[in-house]
Amino acid sequence: MTTTVQKKICMLGGFSVGKTSLVKRFVQSIFSESYQTTVGVKIDKKTVTLGDKVVHLILWDLAGEDDMSSLRMSYLRGSAGYVLVADGTRPATLETALSLRRRVEADCGPLPFALLLNKYDLREQWAVSDGDLEALRGSGCRVRSSSARTGEGVEDAFTDLATRVTH
Amino acid sequence: MEDLPAQVADRLRALTFADRAVAYLYIDDALALIGAGGCLEAYGLGALSLGAPAVEQAAFLEGLLPLVETPWLFPSVELAKGRVADLHFWRDQAGVWVLLLDVTSERGTAQRMQQKAYDMTLLQEREAALNRRLEAANTALLATQRELEAAHAELARWNKTLEERVAAQLGELERMSRLKRFLAPSLAELIVSSGDESILESHRRDIAALFCDMRGFTAFAESAEPEEVLELLRDYHATLVPLIQSFEGTLDRFAGDGLMVFFNDPLPCPNPAERAVRLAVAMRDAVAALAVAWRRRGHQIGFGVGIAQGFATLGQIGFEGRFDYSAIGTVVNTAARLSDAAADGQILVTSRVAGAVGDLAELSDIGALAIKGLSRSLPASNVVALKSGRHQKIVPLNRQTR
Repeated sequence: MTTTVQKKICMLGGFSVGKTSLVKRFVQSIFSESYQTTVGVKIDKKTVTLGDKVVHLILWDLAGEDDMSSLRMSYLRGSAGYVLVADGTRPATLETALSLRRRVEADCGPLPFALLLNKYDLREQWAVSDGDLEALRGSGCRVRSSSARTGEGVEDAFTDLATRVTH
Repeated sequence: MEDLPAQVADRLRALTFADRAVAYLYIDDALALIGAGGCLEAYGLGALSLGAPAVEQAAFLEGLLPLVETPWLFPSVELAKGRVADLHFWRDQAGVWVLLLDVTSERGTAQRMQQKAYDMTLLQEREAALNRRLEAANTALLATQRELEAAHAELARWNKTLEERVAAQLGELERMSRLKRFLAPSLAELIVSSGDESILESHRRDIAALFCDMRGFTAFAESAEPEEVLELLRDYHATLVPLIQSFEGTLDRFAGDGLMVFFNDPLPCPNPAERAVRLAVAMRDAVAALAVAWRRRGHQIGFGVGIAQGFATLGQIGFEGRFDYSAIGTVVNTAARLSDAAADGQILVTSRVAGAVGDLAELSDIGALAIKGLSRSLPASNVVALKSGRHQKIVPLNRQTR
């Protein structure tokens, strides 16, 4: 018997790391080269089927973290899990993502999350070392490389997270 | 609004909400939608059913209800169709009200400002990254430059010593060339590489001296064309000199058809007489083979050898620019006289040499010879052949000068 559930997932990370592009790739299977900053939050919906379970993912794409505007934790209210996004060509954004994780865990507890190192299509400009990634994996982080441009790693990351938030 | 006339209040409401979509939802404690109104269509909420679960009809409510704290505001939330609203939550006794207040225009303004700020920040980040790469490239270039400078200094140092090294090597080549004139090439190289030229100084040594020359050569040279004489000499030398080198004899000199070789100097030789006799036999055999060809051309050429053993004075003789390494003494004269006295095919040796090679060679006593320059006659023997089984391989000499 098919059951239907609905889960809220938040997209978090520094500005211009590709959160909106990842959602657009996942929801609409498209990618836009132009960068448009997000103000506040943008809500999208994507339905995935996991075995006999239909899962409506309500994706809250939050404005990027920067030096001037910090995350409104109120947006995370009721979230079942979250996706941390960093830009592999900008090592500082990985620090931002890890800092956000600490803040979310402090406010909301240990929610399921995925850490995406995005822009893998620019891996020749990659500035995050393999050693850093191994250290993160060693600490229990689910780190994946992704590319909103090519779609690499995107579907898998969301599906994996959807599986974990519905268990 | 109560203090305002209805016309003003209506006008004010029209001005405030002219371009703004305002909508509301009313949700009871069972999370059912019990009321909705305003511009719901603008937010993609056109098909709502009162009494049905609110969260299933308005996905943005997922996880937000029941609301514990009120009032609550979610600012600048972009919903379906690109419309942006501030979501205001508050509750009354019957349930929770949700007001969707359109802020699309304000969000657009904020977005444009934020976009410029982020574009600028990204540009600065790229510039900083570029600067880091430039600095790294600059550091690498500086390191390369330092390596080049070090290599340049090393090269200059090498250049400075090159002339000295070339001069030293030229000197070595010159010494080598000089020594090769009277020593087997391998011995000359040995002496040069050891750097010990003390052997060139005058000294006394017990040596075996060997003289040889052709029989009938003078008559041949008088009658033959010079080119023919030179050709014969070339064949003769080309045959004998390698033999001398293979027996590791010291070639003192050759003049025309005459050759002088000695053993036991500069390299010590355990049995110099034996080695000299072995060489003489090998020479005789080789020249005999040549003589067959010469006879076919009408030249009656023979070959004779004289060998003596005794002390001689050895060393460098001559003058600057023309030095030779040579042996002087009665033993040399005796060998030369025996060579003169030898008939074609004879190897005449003194009684001392004969005594030394008695086990090696078959000898025939030819009696006492009157030798020019000697007060008494000299007993001599002819080496007929090496005894059977005595044609053993030449053992290399110990490569240590004295």
